[in-house]
Order: sequence, then structure tokens, then C-alpha cells
Amino acid sequence: MKKILSICLFEIKRTFKKKSSIVLMLGMPLLFTFLFGSIFGKNADIAFRIALVDEEQTAYSKDIIQKLMHDEMISYELFNALEAEKLLASNEVQGIVTLEKGIANKLRNEEPAATFQPSLGIATAPLIKQQVNQAMQSLDIYVAAAQVGGFYFNESWESVYERLTGNERQIQAWTEQRINASDGHPLMGISYSSAGFSIMFVMIMMLSMTGTLIEARQAGIWSRLFTTPVTRFQVLLGYFLSFFIVGGIQFFLLILLSSTLFDVNWGSPVALLLLVTALLLCVVGLGMSIASLVKTVEQQNAIGTLVIISTCMLGGVYWPISIVPDVMQKIANFVPQTWAMEGFTSLIADSGTVGDILVPLIVLLGFAVIFLSIGLSRMNYT
Amino acid sequence: MLTLSDVKKSFGAHEVIKGISFQVEKGESFGLLGPNGAGKSTLISMICGLIPNGEGEIRVNGKLVSKHRKETQQMIGVVPQDIALYPTMSALDNLMFWGKMYGLSGKKAKDRAKEVLEIVGLTERGKDRVETFSGGMKRRINIGAALMHEPQLLIMDEPTVGIDPQSRSHILETVKSLNEQGLTVIYTSHYMEEVEFLCKRIAIIDEGKLLISGTKKDLNNRLAGGIVLKLTVGSLHPSFIEQVKKLNGVEKVIVQQAEEIDVHLQSKMESVADVILLASQSGVVIHNMHLKEANLETLFLQLTGRSLRE
Ligand SMILES: Nc1ncnc2c1ncn2[C@@H]1O[C@H](COP(=O)(O)OP(=O)(O)OP(=O)(O)O)[C@@H](O)[C@H]1O
Ligand SMILES: [Mg+2]
Repeated sequence: MKKILSICLFEIKRTFKKKSSIVLMLGMPLLFTFLFGSIFGKNADIAFRIALVDEEQTAYSKDIIQKLMHDEMISYELFNALEAEKLLASNEVQGIVTLEKGIANKLRNEEPAATFQPSLGIATAPLIKQQVNQAMQSLDIYVAAAQVGGFYFNESWESVYERLTGNERQIQAWTEQRINASDGHPLMGISYSSAGFSIMFVMIMMLSMTGTLIEARQAGIWSRLFTTPVTRFQVLLGYFLSFFIVGGIQFFLLILLSSTLFDVNWGSPVALLLLVTALLLCVVGLGMSIASLVKTVEQQNAIGTLVIISTCMLGGVYWPISIVPDVMQKIANFVPQTWAMEGFTSLIADSGTVGDILVPLIVLLGFAVIFLSIGLSRMNYT
Repeated sequence: MLTLSDVKKSFGAHEVIKGISFQVEKGESFGLLGPNGAGKSTLISMICGLIPNGEGEIRVNGKLVSKHRKETQQMIGVVPQDIALYPTMSALDNLMFWGKMYGLSGKKAKDRAKEVLEIVGLTERGKDRVETFSGGMKRRINIGAALMHEPQLLIMDEPTVGIDPQSRSHILETVKSLNEQGLTVIYTSHYMEEVEFLCKRIAIIDEGKLLISGTKKDLNNRLAGGIVLKLTVGSLHPSFIEQVKKLNGVEKVIVQQAEEIDVHLQSKMESVADVILLASQSGVVIHNMHLKEANLETLFLQLTGRSLRE
């Protein structure tokens, strides 16, 4: 028992000695939550009429327009450039917003991706700019995801994007849902991002931690360990505990910070503790089973990242699972994140209790059992 | 202290240890000499319970390793061939970790780690990360980790590979003094001068077989002749070598390369003259020649026809 604890504490100490661990644990998830979680601000209800000109003409720009058209304060309408100029000249619209070609790249490079006319004139210009930017950014997560996806699947991001977002009607439905939050209970904005990115970054952190199993094996540390009077059981349990504890600390801090910084209400603490525990068991198990199947740390990172990003996409970590096609929703049942998100949604949005998350809990524990048994049975010790 | 009787080990169809027996007494310093791939590390892995031995028996203080693994492991300190330390942790942390793996409690581990740092001469660097150390310093900590639990038997697998001469002699001196204080040492190397310096008894293994074992004196007596005549010749007739072999006082002739031959002589100087005379008679031109005193390296050469280090 003392040896198990020694291994565990040593590994934890080792993890926190690395500065990159802290960045990965807290910095990145908070940054992502903040960047992707911000949503529309609500202002006074003056009706303005703004002409939209779409030069990009991709699914992405169409989605941005869809989003803007749903705004209640300002009425956005789509015109071509010529019509828009005429309407502005005759004062029928207060301004023109032009979505330029290559929005995604311009956003990446922090260049302005939309132009506003008249550039100064009206008092609501800052509000409009803010709305347009928010519309672009709130969809930017799909673009980011599509670009990652496109890279992995070796396709253009545009086609992945179209697949990801399904069709406009679904986006529209989602947008409506978000706006009329009172009748459904979808997870919104920052809360959604907090839950999603906590899951993703805890997974990435655990991937990097379980990588130490391979490092230790390669460095001959395991060989040396087994020349000392410790058993495999003690070694594995020691490592396992250290992963579990670090993951727990990370989750705890993320929950604490997101509730103080972003006002996220995570719901019933007991239920949350159970859900996080089940999820952690599952994630640590996944990390250990990947570590048991690959030979090098590089493979662990490459394969692990691919698995995490793609299952996070499937499991609705970046966007609500209700917006993807039915087939994808069915496949998503085989991904632990789906169940974790379901659990978090019922805790955060529906103030659920332990009873409400029983199904996600059981499914997650089932995944944990599968992953841990793969990890433990296939682990190569020398 | 340690008894091996007819130990064998195969990896798949490849038999790596082909029946090795030897004994190491308490307080002894025992050298295990052999070229790359001889099976030294495999043998050590079996002694310290890392891999199960195939046939045969390994006993530490009378206890079978295969039956009482934890007990025998507790008596042994192993210095692995590769540096097995955590690079991002301090020397002190590393030592304490390995101490705890042998059951030392926190306080005891810390005190002992300081003592061990003293022994390996790195007291001032105790708080520094191991990754900032030179190769020789890492090797010293690597040895230190095996001393934490004050083992009765220290097994070192090529502890001086790839380090500067200064660290090397420090290590050799340290091990020698530990041995003089009563620690039983098994030292593995393919540097025969290290083994000659440290060890009273030596075993030479090659291709999984024990070629010879005994005290340094025993081995010297087994040397065929005391002198090796190294010749570089212009061209070589096979008949010349046959004739040399028949000369009085010649033990063995080994052709190193096409123009290089080693003639092992019983230390009589006359035989040197005979070889040269024979060469001029058979029209073999001698470009270069020199004499070497036989040592463990030449013994190995005599036994296997190959040199210890390629
Ligand atoms: N796990 C293993 N599986 C298969 N073959 C192995 C394994 N370990 C060692 N061998 C083989 O056993 C033989 C002896 O290896 P070993 O490492 O014991 O040699 P060594 O004497 O320590 O050599 P060196 O001086 O290079 O360290 C080699 O041919 C090696 O390829
Ligand atoms: Mg070896």
C-alpha cells in the first residue's frame, strides 16, 4: 500500500513539475471556453434594417446569414451588392454588411472579414459589428472543427463543414432553440462550452499522462521497477491513482473557475461528483488502453489525438448532437462523450439529480470497464 | 551468496543461455566478462527476477529466485545497463523513489539518499534535475539508486558504458571500496581492464556458454603461452600457417585479416626467431611485427578466435 502511494505521489509531483501540464490543464480549456462560449448580447429593441451582401457564398457564410436573420432587434436582409447600394442611397436600409471572400482565413489571421457601410454614420454600427462578429465566431468553431476534420480525412474543410452542419434548416432549428431557451432546455453558450471543453481537455491531459506509461517502459524504468520487490498490481494501481487524481484536480479546478469566471451553474454537487468520477474512470481507461496498444509516445499522441478529436465531434462536445444527421446520432451512442454531455446537460440545464443521470452514469462505467480491461490485460511490461 | 546451476533461457526458438553454472561467495567481487550479445544482461535479468529462468536453478542466500522472488529481490541491488531514472526529477527525488520501492519509509529514504549522494560524490548536485547531469553523473546516480536499501549483493550491468575517464575511475574506486566494506559485487563488462581491476574471480561467457571461470591467477595459468606475436605480412600462403603451427613452442595461430596473424607462443623467445626464420624460408615478407603480453583479452581470443570488442 505504501509503495502504491509512493508511485502515485511521485507521478503527481512529476506532472505538476512540468509547466506545460498547467497550461494544458487549465489555461487552454478556459481560453477555448471563453473564445467559443460567448454568445449574443441582448440590447434595446429598436428595429433596424440592414442589407447583407454575401460575397463568400459558401455554406459557412449562409449559416452566418441565417444566424443574423434570426436577430430580433435588427432586421437583416440579403441582397446583391448593386441592390444594396441602391437601397442605402434611398435610405431604405440603414447600412450594408458585406461578408467578404475567405472569411475563415481572414478570421484566423485576425483581418476584418466583413465590411460595414456607412463606416461611421449610424449609432448602432458598433452593435451591428459586434453581432456580425459574434455570428461569425460562434460558427467559427465548426470551421475550426471542419479544418481539423478536413486535415484528418484529407478533404477540403468546406465539404467537411457542410457535412458537420448538416443543412441550414438544422442550424436554424438550433438557433431558434437557443433563442427560445425557455421552452426547451438545451445547454447554452458558455455552459455548453465549459462542459464540452472540460471533457476534451481532461481527455487530452489524461492522454498525455498515460503516455508516461510508455515513457517509463521505454526508459527502462519499468524493467528496473520489476527488479525491486514491487508487484505489477502495485505499479499499475499507483499509476492509475495518479492519473485519476490529476484528472480529478483538473475537473475540480475547471468547474470552480468556470463557475466563478463565467457563472456556469454545474448543478447538484453529488451528482456532478458521480458523473465526473465515472467519466474520469472511462477517460483514464481509454488513455491506458491506447498506451497498451502502441509502442511509442509519438504514436500515443497521434492516435490519441485523432481518437479524442473525432469522438468529441461525434459525441457532441463542440455542438449539440441534435444538429447532426440521424445516422450520426446513432453512431454517437457508442462514444462516451455523448453520455457525458447528456449527463452534464441534465445537471446544468435541467438541474437534474443523481436519479436523472443514472443512464449516462451506467453507460460511462460500462465504457470504463471495457477500456480498463483492455488497458490492463494488453499492457506490455518490458 | 549466489548459486547458478545449469541455467538455460530461450527467447522463442533462440537459445540465449545454454546452461551456465557458477557460484559467488559472500564478500566476493565477481566479474562477468563477455562480448556483445553474450547473454550477460539476460543472465542478470534472471538473477534479479525480472524474467523467469528457463531450466536450472538460481539461488540467492539459498533461496530460489523463482519461489521467493520478493525476498531475493530485496537482497539484491541492480544497476541496469541503461540509465533508468526520471530525467525531470532531482537526484534526491530519484534516489528516494527507488528507496521507497524497496520499502524504505519517507524519513529513512531521505536520510539514506543523502548518504548515497555522499557515496557517489554528488552531494552538491542533489537538488538538481537529473537531465542537467553529465553522462557520468547520471551513471553515478544510477548506481546510487541500487544502493539505497543497503543490499547484500550489488549487480552492475556495464555501469561505465559511454562515460568520461574521470567518472569511470570514480565509479571503479567507489565499487572497490564498497566491496572492501563487505558488499558482494557482480560486475559485468566487456572492458577487461575494469574487471581485472575490480574482481578477484572472473567468468568469461560467450554465446550463452561459460567458457572459463576462476581467480585471475587460475585464468592466467590457463593462458596458452605468455606472448602473442603479431605479424603483418605481404602475402600469405596457407602452407606457411600450417608450418608455423607445427613449430615448437607455438600454441595457436589466429588469422585476423588476410595479412595479419597472431601467433600465440609459450613465452620462449626462441620461438619468435623460429617464426621469422620460417617466414624468410617460405618467401613470406614481414612488413611489421610486435610482441604483446597475453592477458584476459588474449585468453578470450584463444578460447573463441574472436576478440572481446569488435
Ligand atoms: N527479450 C528478448 N527477446 C529476444 N531475444 C533477446 C531478448 N533479450 C535478449 N535477447 C537476445 O539474447 C542475446 C543476449 O543478449 P544480452 O542482452 O543478454 O547480451 P549482453 O551480453 O548483455 O550484451 P551487451 O554487451 O550488448 O549488453 C542477444 O542475442 C539478444 O538478441
Ligand atoms: Mg547487456
